[in-house]
Amino acid sequence: MTFLTISRLEKSFGANRVVKDFNLEVEKGEFISLLGPSGCGKTTVLRMVAGFELPSAGRITIAGKDVSRLRPNHRNIGMVFQAYALFPNLTVAQNVGFGLKVKGAPAREIAARVAEMLALIGLPEMGERYPYQLSGGQQQRVALARALAPKPQVLLLDEPLSALDAKVRVSLRNEIRAIQRELGITTIFVTHDQEEALSMSDRIVVMHQGVADQVGTPFDIYNRPATRFVAGFVGTLNTLTAQVIDPASGHVRVGGSDLVLGRALPGGEVVLGLRPEMLRLGAEPGMASLTGTITELDFLGSVIRLRLDLGDQRLAVDLFNTTRATPPRVGDSVTLALDPADALVIGA
Amino acid sequence: MTRAASWAILLLGLTYFILPLLGMIEFSLSMRRGEYSFDAYVAVLGDPQFRQTFSYSVMMALLTIVFGMLLVVPTAFWVRLKLPHLRPVIEFITLLPLVIPAIVVVFGYIRLYNTSSWLPLTGSVLGTNLLLMFGYATLSLPYMYRAVDTGLRTIDVTTLTEAAQSLGAGWITILGRIILPNVLVAVLSGAFVTFAIVMGEFTMAALLNRPAFGPYLQLMGANKAYEPFALATIAFIITWACMGLIQLVTRFTKHDKAAR
Repeated sequence: MTFLTISRLEKSFGANRVVKDFNLEVEKGEFISLLGPSGCGKTTVLRMVAGFELPSAGRITIAGKDVSRLRPNHRNIGMVFQAYALFPNLTVAQNVGFGLKVKGAPAREIAARVAEMLALIGLPEMGERYPYQLSGGQQQRVALARALAPKPQVLLLDEPLSALDAKVRVSLRNEIRAIQRELGITTIFVTHDQEEALSMSDRIVVMHQGVADQVGTPFDIYNRPATRFVAGFVGTLNTLTAQVIDPASGHVRVGGSDLVLGRALPGGEVVLGLRPEMLRLGAEPGMASLTGTITELDFLGSVIRLRLDLGDQRLAVDLFNTTRATPPRVGDSVTLALDPADALVIGA
Repeated sequence: MTRAASWAILLLGLTYFILPLLGMIEFSLSMRRGEYSFDAYVAVLGDPQFRQTFSYSVMMALLTIVFGMLLVVPTAFWVRLKLPHLRPVIEFITLLPLVIPAIVVVFGYIRLYNTSSWLPLTGSVLGTNLLLMFGYATLSLPYMYRAVDTGLRTIDVTTLTEAAQSLGAGWITILGRIILPNVLVAVLSGAFVTFAIVMGEFTMAALLNRPAFGPYLQLMGANKAYEPFALATIAFIITWACMGLIQLVTRFTKHDKAAR
């Protein structure tokens, strides 16, 4: 049964419509990411769920109750902010226990819950410290514990990893996901980092210009993008203009090479999307092939990134680095193999 | 600039400020002919009128501070949180007491709140005291507002407020447990300035005919030789004690080191 429902949600600031007809249904215990570039409206949606912004239109229900007009302090929602937002005048333990104290919980219950939460985030000895005495990663863990302590119905995470360095970010995102799974709390996570969204989410909502372009599992979003924007925003994508030779068989010509996609296409021109990692060097039996000239080669450690001229179009290819194979050189003319099923035909 | 020149400028500055103070203190100790004594201080501190006016002004200062805090902290908080576009207007209003003389303000009060007006505050002692406290709060508004606003600038008011709201806190809890403790040093510095202003204020207290310390200072200055200097020294010590307290509070506020 749907736990959180957002239906026909709209938000305008003056004449600027930042969220347009946004719909989402979230199951209990699900981890949903709102992914999109800056200004796409993802944070505004989150802030409307939290109650910090009132919708211009639409409804938000949690566990069947309409909370659209409810004040934020009456929604029982936990929120973690990008800037940690720990109360500087309170110790870690006081921060974590703040929500329970506001609710009027007995001191013994608060102390027990604070100890439980600090153990959960792996900082059991830090209760007496002040926020300024903690690292960024520790502060964000405390912020998570503080949000979870009052047992909220929904956890909202507003780019909680953006202010952290890369290594901490990766370890903390795994921790957040593990804690979320352990507690089974319904979570909405806002991020502009596709890797975070892909690695953490049960489902992703890709937002563009205030609209949810696609809602799907990370696998679907990456491998079966519904729109040109999703295809371009999530992962690296080569977009190639192809001339359709035979619409029925999906025979197209790209930069002087012929591909048969094996599915019906519209006539005229289509745009093909090819992920760089879907292409392999050398012709392979049963695979379609493209021919091009290497113009750039970047050695990235585990991956070698090639850029090729394919007639008048450009193509990026990622090859896994192996000690056995000799890397190609700039100027080499090479053949690339690809499974026609991996080629995306991109719509609007 | 050479080291010697820097020292020379510093000494010149110190001389400019300290010499008159030393002269004042020296004179206040010269009541007894031919030797230094605290006779002037003993005379002042033994004067019942001193004790009465001093305690009246201290009480008024404390009430003004409480009223100023209740007025300014929520206002500055709300302006920062919800009405940032109104900041220039509010700042302009808070600066008005610097350009409108106290005598104009108090005459306005007397005209508006005299015994034949719709709100005859000057008709009773309590009402007049209340009016005087409002007047003091107005005079200290530029300092109090600026101090609190500067304090609020050092914290992320919006995010802290939203974090507290998401944890179930209402406005009073947010102001009392989150915002005020984080701007306490700023509020106290505004409070100490307010205290100093109230302790020395003459015009309003004299025209409202209240037994405050300012008019007493003026009375002593007009009638005595040494006692006014002892009083000025006492007032000076009170001011410096206030400034010292600000420093102490700042030093002992643990969380003040917080990265904000």
